[in-house]
Amino acid sequence: MLPQALLVAFFLACAAGMVLAAVLPDRRAPAAIAWVGAAAAAAALASGGGVLATGHVVQARLWSLAPAGTLVLALDRFSAVFVVVTACVYLAVSLFSAGYLPRYLGHYSLRSFGIAYHALFASVVLVLMAADALSFLLAWEAMAVLSYLLVNYEHEREETVHAGYLMLAMGEAGTLAAALAFLLLAVPAGGLAFASMRGAAAGLGAGARWAVFLLSFFGFGVKAGLVPTSTWLPRAHPAAPGNVSALLSGVILNLGMYGIMRVNLDLLPVASVGPGILALIVGTLSALVGILYATTQTDTKTMLAHSSIENMGIVAAALGAGLVFAASGRPVLAGIADVVALYHLGNHALYKALLFLGAGSVDLAAGERDMDRLGGLIRRMPWTALWFLVGSLSIAAMPPTNGFASEWLLLQTLLRSVELSAVSIRIVFALCGAALALTAALAVTCFVRAFAMSFLGIPRSSASRQATEVPRSMTAAMGLLAAGCLAAGVAATGIIPVLDGAVAPLVHARAAGALVPPFFAPGAGGLPPAFVAEFRDLGAEVGKGIVPGPGLVVLHRGGARNPVVFAMSTAYTLAMLLLLLGAAAGAVAIATRARAVTRRRCWDGGLPRLLPAMTYTATGFSNPVRVIFGAVFHPSAPEDTVEVVAGHFRTAVRRSRPEVHVVDRAVFDPATRAAWRVARALAGMHHGRINAYAAYVLATLLAFLVAGRLL
Amino acid sequence: MRGWVPAGLRTGVRTTRYPDAEETAPGVSPGLPRGGRAADGAGGALADRCPTGAIVTEDHGIAVDYRRCVHCFRCARGVPAPPDWQPGYEWAASVRGDAAQPLGPAFARSLRILVVDAGDCGACLREVKQLSGPYYNMHRLGFFVTPTPRSADILVVVGPVTAHMRSPLVQAYEAMPAPKRVVAVGACALSGGVFGPSFASAGGVAGVIPVDVMVPGNPPPPLAILHGLLVVTGRRPSAALRSPAAAPPPAPRAEGAP
Amino acid sequence: MVCAVSEQDGLRDLGAACRERWPQRVHAAYEAARRTWRLECRADALVDLASWLVAERGVSFAGLVVEEAPAEWVLRYLFYGDRDTGWVEIVARCRKPARAMPSISARVHAADWHEREAEDLFGLVFEGHPRLGDFVLHNDVWPEDVGVMRADYDPAVRRPRPEPDPAWQPVRLVEAPGAFWMPVGPIYSGVTESALFLLETVGEDVIRAFPRLFYKYRGIEKIAERRSVDQVLLLAERCAATSAFAHSLAFCQAVEAIAGVEVPARARALRIVLAELERLRHHVGAIEEICESTALAVAASQASILEEDLLRLSGSLTGHRYLFGLNVPGGLTHDLAQGAVRAAADGAAAVVPALRRLREMLGVSSSFVDRLEGIGTISRADALAHGLVGPVARASGVRRDLRVAQPYSGYESLDVLVPAEEDGDGYARLRVLFAEAEESARILAQQAAALPAGPVRAPAFPVAAGAALGWAEAPRGAAFHWVRIGADGLVARYRLVTPSFTNWHGFHLAAENFAFQDFPIILASFGLSAGEGDR
Repeated sequence: MLPQALLVAFFLACAAGMVLAAVLPDRRAPAAIAWVGAAAAAAALASGGGVLATGHVVQARLWSLAPAGTLVLALDRFSAVFVVVTACVYLAVSLFSAGYLPRYLGHYSLRSFGIAYHALFASVVLVLMAADALSFLLAWEAMAVLSYLLVNYEHEREETVHAGYLMLAMGEAGTLAAALAFLLLAVPAGGLAFASMRGAAAGLGAGARWAVFLLSFFGFGVKAGLVPTSTWLPRAHPAAPGNVSALLSGVILNLGMYGIMRVNLDLLPVASVGPGILALIVGTLSALVGILYATTQTDTKTMLAHSSIENMGIVAAALGAGLVFAASGRPVLAGIADVVALYHLGNHALYKALLFLGAGSVDLAAGERDMDRLGGLIRRMPWTALWFLVGSLSIAAMPPTNGFASEWLLLQTLLRSVELSAVSIRIVFALCGAALALTAALAVTCFVRAFAMSFLGIPRSSASRQATEVPRSMTAAMGLLAAGCLAAGVAATGIIPVLDGAVAPLVHARAAGALVPPFFAPGAGGLPPAFVAEFRDLGAEVGKGIVPGPGLVVLHRGGARNPVVFAMSTAYTLAMLLLLLGAAAGAVAIATRARAVTRRRCWDGGLPRLLPAMTYTATGFSNPVRVIFGAVFHPSAPEDTVEVVAGHFRTAVRRSRPEVHVVDRAVFDPATRAAWRVARALAGMHHGRINAYAAYVLATLLAFLVAGRLL
Repeated sequence: MRGWVPAGLRTGVRTTRYPDAEETAPGVSPGLPRGGRAADGAGGALADRCPTGAIVTEDHGIAVDYRRCVHCFRCARGVPAPPDWQPGYEWAASVRGDAAQPLGPAFARSLRILVVDAGDCGACLREVKQLSGPYYNMHRLGFFVTPTPRSADILVVVGPVTAHMRSPLVQAYEAMPAPKRVVAVGACALSGGVFGPSFASAGGVAGVIPVDVMVPGNPPPPLAILHGLLVVTGRRPSAALRSPAAAPPPAPRAEGAP
Repeated sequence: MVCAVSEQDGLRDLGAACRERWPQRVHAAYEAARRTWRLECRADALVDLASWLVAERGVSFAGLVVEEAPAEWVLRYLFYGDRDTGWVEIVARCRKPARAMPSISARVHAADWHEREAEDLFGLVFEGHPRLGDFVLHNDVWPEDVGVMRADYDPAVRRPRPEPDPAWQPVRLVEAPGAFWMPVGPIYSGVTESALFLLETVGEDVIRAFPRLFYKYRGIEKIAERRSVDQVLLLAERCAATSAFAHSLAFCQAVEAIAGVEVPARARALRIVLAELERLRHHVGAIEEICESTALAVAASQASILEEDLLRLSGSLTGHRYLFGLNVPGGLTHDLAQGAVRAAADGAAAVVPALRRLREMLGVSSSFVDRLEGIGTISRADALAHGLVGPVARASGVRRDLRVAQPYSGYESLDVLVPAEEDGDGYARLRVLFAEAEESARILAQQAAALPAGPVRAPAFPVAAGAALGWAEAPRGAAFHWVRIGADGLVARYRLVTPSFTNWHGFHLAAENFAFQDFPIILASFGLSAGEGDR
């Protein structure tokens, strides 16, 4: 009852937001958006949390449309996870908007922003709640159009218009494929409701199953940002306003993954390992390509966009692993893998939104997004720097943040593939695991560079020299997300059972027992007694009352005779870190208390002044990556134009190095060229001769008559 | 590494035994003129021949200011009464007197040296370089060269401090953490040498940063520079920068000797 | 007036050719005693004449001497040819208060730095030169247009110096996204001469290296003015002490040419012995630097032992390890005993087998050779265009040596073998150093065995007024000392062109598109001295 009421409150709040946005003058709009958005997000968070806690599915039947069936809404645990994540991101973004939106006063209309903002929130929740294909597609289209409107907000800039159009066009192509997938599922079910699809899907033949998988995977994959259809992502993110970019990565991309998961985990039972392997490989490729391009980008928002591609690839890889495990008859492992996918998805939403809000703050304060022109902002914007650091640590998977928990779990889950029997599958898992470990390492490089070049060192431009800290609403929003990142990491043992509750009905097995066994209860499920005794001897019971849940996340492999246990505890890590850092700080303070400290300028060899141009730029920092992975970047040989004056005096050397994205090189450029070739060939038909046109009409007519006769 | 190891072993040990024993090989030091008695007029002639004013007349003789001697040998060649020549190489002098604080036992056997070239002609720098070579091997005494002032204990300066090197030298000195000492090596660093103070150089290090030990010579041989490093660490006694005209007191006769 | 040009002289028709090409604008006169064509040239014919001489008459640019007369500026462009050719001196004048001359650097690129130096120190403007300013006098330390070499500037006055200008910006050469500088210097590495190198890079490999020299500028040319010849001899010795003998030899030969004094045969022979001893010791030192730059410590130690052996040998033979105080106008200050000379020759000969062993072992150390091969390559065309000299030029195929091209002090009767390589990279420069060191030892032994008897110093002569050029092949290349002695017997103008100054001009050719860790190796393979170039 309560979740239902809260949902109604949520929709009312969104409607109120839209009305207020239409009615209020522009200068009050940011505050209104912040308040109403926060209220709506709180309502959604509470209702989603309630569903997760109780397991009670909220259902509602809406109108009946005669040929297509009834529109049904249902919020089950699986959707509730996504609702909670969305609400968290929306809460922070709404707070952020209070300080961020005033920059558009006078240039663009904040009315339309407000209306589209609240409508988008409502449509996102409707997508998550849709329980039949028609309402799903209606809400999906609404979401696509509204997100396009928000991305295209600064419509006077040409690159924004291009980016928005590309996003819309590719999104619509993906929606078409997804709709076809739904139709294929609807054929044996005889109706569009998910419930009937669920039951009838077992009767699909192998070809149809593959068709449904491919259509849904690549169709929803456009929105999820998977290679090769992620070309719109790196263009849309920098084009959108700062808070909308956070929404894009934190909310919209999740919807793509939701679509894939809903169709392939829930509606379509897993029959063969093929789809899982394909998802794993595509996910790994996305991760690798995404992080490589992220490491070599100097525009902060483009870099974060590529990093989103990477993280979505990781989620897809986890999903693929889950499908393979399910098809190989290992439901518990499948459950673990799906829990990992959801966990990483939620974590990514939190820290990516945080990073985008940080980038938006820097953009507002310094007017610069290019890392080659930032620097030294930690002195001018300490809070932004601190929250951005937390986000960087999370995305680089440093303990005890949430990024570490989900990355660790993913790699450990992939290692469990040794329990499968087919050798070829094990080889694929090994290769993908190695590649994902490589992406984790590259992610560290990427974000060390991002934080260091933006916030440390000396300012490289006058804009960054004059930056000031952003308003409190923006730093508070980022602080909220940073706290969420830490909490989601430290409370890993509390979150995993909740996610398991969402996943269990889909894989028909419980994974929580295997991941966070109840140590402190007798008979700790399935673990070798020697390990449990050792754990107790280490004094683990000390934390029993303090840390949430059992305290350790565990992956146990092997039998009683050969037990292998991998375990980690982010809660204990945090405690130890605080202890050690505090002790170290105290020791340093005591040891240096009696020394005189002189501060001098940095030693630079005796130069008159160390210029910012004498420090490493972001491009230079990532140059080794560009060189090592040259096969991916495939840069053309550097074109040096040497300006020579009077024979021997070289006055300037200009070096340009044009690069084309590997996906464009491999997929889109050949496809474009082929399409042009076909079009040119067909253009031969446009010659203007009336007689030939008449012949075409005649030929078409004959063809239809013959076909009608045959069929 | 074939061939290098046997070649190195065949070469054997070439290192000098200084400071444990005196180095007597020929050609290790050009020596310095010694102050002493001179016939009337001869002293004035010598003082006139000296291009930098290192030799001055002083009660019936000549005194030599080693800070100014540039080893031009004008006083030694082509004159009827050349001054006494003092072989040897222990020329370094501590100039801070009572104000000098020893560096302390922590620095007894391990010191880092920063070498700053403030405009020298190249000879002093090469002699400093030889200290790291097998013949002198200052590493066995605990002296090492470091490229950064942050980890340096001793600053060795060569050259007369040109206008362009003044600021980098001061920056290097200020970048060194305390305790630190400065050793000025060579006639240019002590008095400007043949260049003297001019529009382009400061005429010595002493006016730019405080100097602790001065090593005269143009260039001082490696053994003299080594002596300077030993003086600044208090391991050898300081010499005098000026050789006066008064004759040294006669050696005390043993009791009962004829 | 044309008089007594020798029949074999390749420039014997120079006067006629000049009259034909630039009638009324170039007047040619030949001075037989110095084998020098003096071409008085008007400013509008200067560029054509200079480039014609270099391109078609086969002479090389030696230096530019700027003198300030009360009513005009006198610019002398010095060129020299091969053994069969003498010298050419173009004299251009600029009446005061005008200060502009056309720049010949576009066509005779070797004159580039000479013109920049004249602009910086005298305040002359060379029209058409694309890069003037901030050369010798760093513009963060000196105010604009200070003109230190002008007659009205007193060198003894020490001007109060402001703090270096914090708004100083170096010249930016590379335009690429994300390009930045890696500054090396002026204080860097272990025991190195002070110079600043700005390496422009976009990450790992360095695109261009821009050297900023003259941190060690002592103003020798200005200090020398109004000092006695004896005092300026001291300055000549100490401009670059590792080539002290060669520079003092060039200076003494200039003074001897002004006075018309003939140096006795024994002095000439001893001068050759000492000059080759210095060359041998310098080259061993350069080899040691190269080994140390590649971190091959054992080879560096072996070379360091040989260098100290030669230093001790020089010290015991002459009393000073760097051969100070030996040369004097007219000969040497004191004679060297025959036994001592023979012992020195034996000592030098003992170094040669050790050098050969070192070269063989280095040649088979692939980790060493790999770091030198293909590094810092300079093509022959570039070396010729920039007027490079010494072992650096010989490694690029420019086989030029003043001991052969314009022999002096007895070298005309010797057969000097000048080695040359074609590759132009660091390994070629190393091979040239080894070959020249062996050749020096051979010449030393040959001369020491056949020293003529006699005095080592010409009888005392009055200091005459006049101007002349003295030259010598210093270990790093050709050194030119141009001296003018005034009527009062003091030096009125002293122009010092050192091989390091000439070769630093071409350093940027070797420092293009290289990996950062190769930079010390490129520096060491050039073996240049910042002190010698800065003067």
